[in-house]
Amino acid sequence: MTVNRLLPVSLIAALLLYGAAWQHLQHERHVFLQENYMDYTLPSRFTGPAAMEFKGIVSDFLFLKVITFLGERIGKQEEFNDQHFQYLEESVNTITDLDPYFWDAYLFADMIFTWDLKEYEAANKLLLKARQYRTNDYRVPYYLGFNYFFFLKDNINGSKYLMEASKLPASPYYLASLAARLSVYALEHRIGIIFLKEMIMDTENEQIKSEFILRIKALEIMDQLEKKVREYKKTYRKLPSSLAELVTAGLIDKIPNDPYGGQFIMMENGRVYTTSKMLRKK
Amino acid sequence: MNRRIWSLAVITFKEGIRDRTLYGIGLFALMIMGLSLVVTGFFLRELHKVTVDINISAITFGGLLIIFSLSVNLMSKDLDKRTIYSVLSKPFSRAQYLIGKFIGLVLLSLTALCMLTLVSTLTIWAVKSQYPVYFKEFVWLSVFQAVFAEFLMFMVLNAVVIFFSTVTTSSFLTLLFTISTYIVGQTVEEVVQFIQSQAQEIQLTTAVKTVIEMTQYIVPNLSVYDLKIRAAHGLSIPFSYLLSITGYSLIYSAVLILLASIIFSRRELT
Repeated sequence: MTVNRLLPVSLIAALLLYGAAWQHLQHERHVFLQENYMDYTLPSRFTGPAAMEFKGIVSDFLFLKVITFLGERIGKQEEFNDQHFQYLEESVNTITDLDPYFWDAYLFADMIFTWDLKEYEAANKLLLKARQYRTNDYRVPYYLGFNYFFFLKDNINGSKYLMEASKLPASPYYLASLAARLSVYALEHRIGIIFLKEMIMDTENEQIKSEFILRIKALEIMDQLEKKVREYKKTYRKLPSSLAELVTAGLIDKIPNDPYGGQFIMMENGRVYTTSKMLRKK
Repeated sequence: MNRRIWSLAVITFKEGIRDRTLYGIGLFALMIMGLSLVVTGFFLRELHKVTVDINISAITFGGLLIIFSLSVNLMSKDLDKRTIYSVLSKPFSRAQYLIGKFIGLVLLSLTALCMLTLVSTLTIWAVKSQYPVYFKEFVWLSVFQAVFAEFLMFMVLNAVVIFFSTVTTSSFLTLLFTISTYIVGQTVEEVVQFIQSQAQEIQLTTAVKTVIEMTQYIVPNLSVYDLKIRAAHGLSIPFSYLLSITGYSLIYSAVLILLASIIFSRRELT
């Protein structure tokens, strides 16, 4: 009788105790997590076999962990440091070993590597891994090209990857002309010409085709002019002071017109550019 | 003769369907699939991948639970409860008995798989209509191809259950051996690849190497049935590959059933 009456009372007491214990644990846990807490991800050497045939869903789970962990720090506007870099690099390596096609993971890491951590080599290394698997995705070489062009100031590689991107399905049409325009700055007009000619064959849209043809025209003129500049240099052992000197030397009849409506000019290093920057006048 | 095998298969199947465990497993799989409706929204762009990952994993997990619980139980029940005597007193050979059981178990797995696939189709469709922009790379065919591959794996595992239940006397041991076979089967390919790629760095004795080399021929390579990642990214699977894994499963199961029949017909049932 007394035992039966005692049971509900003890249950209530136990529940109250449980509430207090839970509160205390929450507090302690919070303090614990605040103290330089760093998340970690096991390497794929272990995670891979351990995930067995559930690699896809495990990669999702790990990625969710990474974006919540780093997202919280972004939300608090914390500065990222080496520890964060190491964590992100290790985690993304594991995630993309588990699912090598996981574009979200590649892109998230690429963004943080380049904009927040300034670790461009790591970003490009990761994108090169993505390129092995996502062979039909123009975004992979596109971001690679962008990193080279924008962050590393490497125009040759930048235009190389942009060109690669523009050849892949579903890539926006302007990529081709962007790549070609970059190539003007990247010392190689010929690459741009060859590349655009290739693009014309795959293009069905007449308007885009004519855009390409115009650009090829301009590039070919510039390529031709640079050749003449080199010829001039061979004979006179110095660079001409301007393109007009090529006319007086009899190497060309006149300075050709820029199909874009600008004017061709020669830089101090002997490179030929145009004032229109190969953009149609509006 | 075929009619006898068939009726035994149907009895096994009905017995399995009546088991309450099935509903528990079904409910569990449904919960995971329901989870995909909520969790998918947490991701950035590749929502189709996450949805497909969760759904096919739920189907696989449900199917595995059915094999580890129901199939193992259905096989050992006859022996444990001595009902095998009344079954074998009928004009049956022991081989026929095993084949009938095997077909029944495969039917059970197939039915469960179809039900789970139907539900996950609805869940994927629901997520797809919620975020149509993020489903451009999604392909239904790849999903069904991956589910078909899982079915082939279930067939092999059912054969493994049959085999071990003729070798051992307790259902617990059958369960243990089946789970071990599953784990080894899932990892053997990776382990062998790892050893081959790191041959110089890791010093293994020839004995260990030989054991691992032998294992890959004996244990079924279950990684070949894992097409989930390809399905999640909408990458199609060549027909010849599907044909190859179908052939592999059929032949591997046949070998196991034959071995089981030989062992079972020599076994003293006491």
